[in-house]
Amino acid sequence: MNFDDELRAALQREPAPADFAARVLGKTTKTRALPLWRRPAALAIAAALALTALVPSAVYQYRQHRRAIEARDQLILALSIARVQLQQVRERIQHNTRHKI
Amino acid sequence: MKTALILFAAAIPGFAQQRFDFTSLDKLGANASETTNITLEGDTLKLATSFLGGDKGPLRNLTGVYVRSFEFAKPGQYNEADLASLRAYVKTLKWTKVVDVKDTGETSEIYLQTLPNDKLGGLAIISTEPSEVTVVFISGVLNLSDVGKLSGNLGIPDIRLEHGGKKSDDSKKD
Repeated sequence: MNFDDELRAALQREPAPADFAARVLGKTTKTRALPLWRRPAALAIAAALALTALVPSAVYQYRQHRRAIEARDQLILALSIARVQLQQVRERIQHNTRHKI
Repeated sequence: MKTALILFAAAIPGFAQQRFDFTSLDKLGANASETTNITLEGDTLKLATSFLGGDKGPLRNLTGVYVRSFEFAKPGQYNEADLASLRAYVKTLKWTKVVDVKDTGETSEIYLQTLPNDKLGGLAIISTEPSEVTVVFISGVLNLSDVGKLSGNLGIPDIRLEHGGKKSDDSKKD
């Protein structure tokens, strides 16, 4: 057998095994049958949902904290103003009383 | 049904007394050079008191804290008549007017709702000077001895009062 014959024999078209199509389809089906929670798209959606849930909650908590601090500062200022006013009134009373005596 | 109607009718004056529109005082400060405007009520007040003892703190029963303080560059830049509505409101509360000082161009009024066991139900201060007006209105139950414990902490001032309008002895040190 010369080289040409060997090459021809090597490149000769051979029919696919009978179960080839079934095997290929079987593998494809196996790939598609990944559980829902393992699919990349599902994971991406889950991550997005988790972020959507967590970020607003964190932002809300931060804003609540800021609001609470501002409210506390206002309350302290209000009580300070009350104290100053009470002191001034006391001084006025003392001043007036001294003058009358 | 009859009982419900009676309760409802009894609640109307009480409800009417609880509300005063403090924003109506804002016109006092139309020409003010400096303004302090504080309104703390509801959830905001709860948030504020949460830092000062929370549900066990002395300020837990406060229901409202309102301050309007205006300073003017020149004397006579506000209308004294704008305080009439507040004075009328305080009158409806039937609080005790413990201080009423009128001096040259200056007035000071202090109203208190005194409760048994060294407690206050509310405090109102109306102070006017030629170039300054201050209104402080605090409603809700305040235990004076508890407030004393907060004095000096977190910048909380001592606002203890003896019945009759005088401050207690230790507060005179301030």
